Amino acid sequence: MIEFLALTGLAAATLRVAAPLLLASLGETIAERGGMLNLGLQGAMLVGAFSGFMGAYFAGSLWIGLISAIIGGILTTLLFGILVINLDLDQVVSGLAINLLASGLTLYFTRVLFTGGVSPYLGELFGPMPIPFLCNMPVLGEVLFTQTGFVYLGLVSVPLIYVLLTKTSFGLRLRSIGEDPVIASYLGINVVKMRYAALLAEGILAGLAGGLLTISMFNTFDPRIVAARGFVAVSIVILGRWNPWGALAGSLLFGFTEALSLRIGIIFPELSGASINQLFALLPYLVALVALVVGGRGVRGPASLGKRIGRER
Amino acid sequence: MVERQLTISRGTKRSIVKALLSVVLTLAVTSVVFLINNVNPILAFIYMFQGAFGDINLASETMIRMTPILIVSLGLAVSFKCKIWNIGAEGQLYIGAMLGTIAAIGIGGGPLSLLAALVVGAVGGLLWAAGPALMKVKLGINEVITTFLMNFVGIYLVQWMISYPFRSPDTYFPESSAIPSSSALAVILPGTRLHLGVALALALVPLVYFLLERTTFGYKVKVVGENPEAARYGGMEIGKVIFVSLVFSGLLAGLAGITEVMGIQFRVRGSLSPGYGYTGIVVALLGNNNPIGVALASLFLAAIMNGSSTLAWTMNIPMGIVDLMQGLLFIFVLASEPLVRFLERRGVLKL
Repeated sequence: MIEFLALTGLAAATLRVAAPLLLASLGETIAERGGMLNLGLQGAMLVGAFSGFMGAYFAGSLWIGLISAIIGGILTTLLFGILVINLDLDQVVSGLAINLLASGLTLYFTRVLFTGGVSPYLGELFGPMPIPFLCNMPVLGEVLFTQTGFVYLGLVSVPLIYVLLTKTSFGLRLRSIGEDPVIASYLGINVVKMRYAALLAEGILAGLAGGLLTISMFNTFDPRIVAARGFVAVSIVILGRWNPWGALAGSLLFGFTEALSLRIGIIFPELSGASINQLFALLPYLVALVALVVGGRGVRGPASLGKRIGRER
Repeated sequence: MVERQLTISRGTKRSIVKALLSVVLTLAVTSVVFLINNVNPILAFIYMFQGAFGDINLASETMIRMTPILIVSLGLAVSFKCKIWNIGAEGQLYIGAMLGTIAAIGIGGGPLSLLAALVVGAVGGLLWAAGPALMKVKLGINEVITTFLMNFVGIYLVQWMISYPFRSPDTYFPESSAIPSSSALAVILPGTRLHLGVALALALVPLVYFLLERTTFGYKVKVVGENPEAARYGGMEIGKVIFVSLVFSGLLAGLAGITEVMGIQFRVRGSLSPGYGYTGIVVALLGNNNPIGVALASLFLAAIMNGSSTLAWTMNIPMGIVDLMQGLLFIFVLASEPLVRFLERRGVLKL
């Protein structure tokens, strides 16, 4: 018998763990609409998580942590920009390079700064911010209106980014670059500037997505803290057909799987036990792969996605 | 008869310059990091070198360290040459190690078990790469994403297997039982741990070189990687080439995993690989996907890894320096192409 309370808890947890995926996949959606497949998203999240933690820990303020998470994310995506926009290097390889550099930097400096390489816990964290009145609603109050600021921010960003991409001239120009940067530049669009703008937006969102892991969710930093979230977010962008609403749907699916894998023992007591719990850790990644097989066949993204412009030739 | 030219071609010269440039730049930035930590960089590099090659024991430990890196990166070189980015070697390595270990224990020792374990391990890695390869060829799904996700599925699966169904009954930590001693790879240099796997890895260098340079498959891999349009017009079955090159890299990753078990660790632990699958990516690129270059690059990375443990206790530089240097190396290998082009335009470099 599944308890109703457990289900509300599951729904609330779904949103909570979906938040980093949502923010990251929204950022990646913007970059990919501009024709940039940024697999360095994973690295940007890691740097955001690291700089967010360090800012909060050494300055003693969560808000400074938040700002430094954003800065960390931006710096990482800008480095990607230098590699693929200015140097016109292969996007896939550049993204991988950034991931490895990010994990090297964060691992090294964590070990330099903290003996044993284990970060301490933060004294405080960005906890749930119940929205007055609305949080008292039955069910919805707990699920939707007693969440952290990051969840609200992610949810509010979905329609905003949708409008930005589809209804503004910025979005139109960005999407035309994504289809064909050469023709877009003939039409007088500044491809370099637009792509940097897209990466700036992605950097902010990826920094937030990483930062929330340390300053709102886990309260500490571990070099493996991002796990595969960056790559899951890239899968979500594909499954969501490069659309912010699709990113929301995908993030909720993976958030649900992760929440379920964490709470399987609570919901199905007969399935509890250390053995099953450990096996369920791989569930979110398996679901991501199955979802790609089911929903990723024959999907076409922006035409110039992942391609080099080749100005040098 | 056509005379073979023995001089180094322009392309080869160029890739050597690029590799050297990336190494120099990496060492330069690492020196800055050392200076920030109040450590004399020259002294640090001397300690590192001594830690890697100081005596026969240390040198053979570096060769042992090189073995899994070399086997993995030879496979990756083949798939990268085809422009297929397998970043799932880490998971393929773990699955290969696990299945090979199960085979060795199941058969229970003897030369048959040794051979079977190697084959099962390699095939395990191949199968783990086959999923993403099929998804790429049949559905057009980016292999970078799928191979990376498969790492997490594979490593969690192995974690679970060594914690529950295949857990050794007589150890406290989760790890598999040990393989029978008769299915371990023999030590080839008495007094050290240098094992037959090192010879196996080195023997793979000319084999992969032959595969890439002297076979039709190698030719197809190159054409598909460099000019897929030409490959299509030439009537090549591109999907097949992509599939084979990706599962081949999985095969070698699996072989690397089981070799590491049979040569040095004798059982599967959670700490079996400190990221050899990722190191292999950097190594393959630094070696320009050329088996000889890859062999030199894996020796270099192995030396950094082993040398840095000396640094950790002599100069208090944390082991994370390896990961930092790997990341830097990756960025500089990438940036070396435009950099060399820039230097050529300026007339600084003549190649």
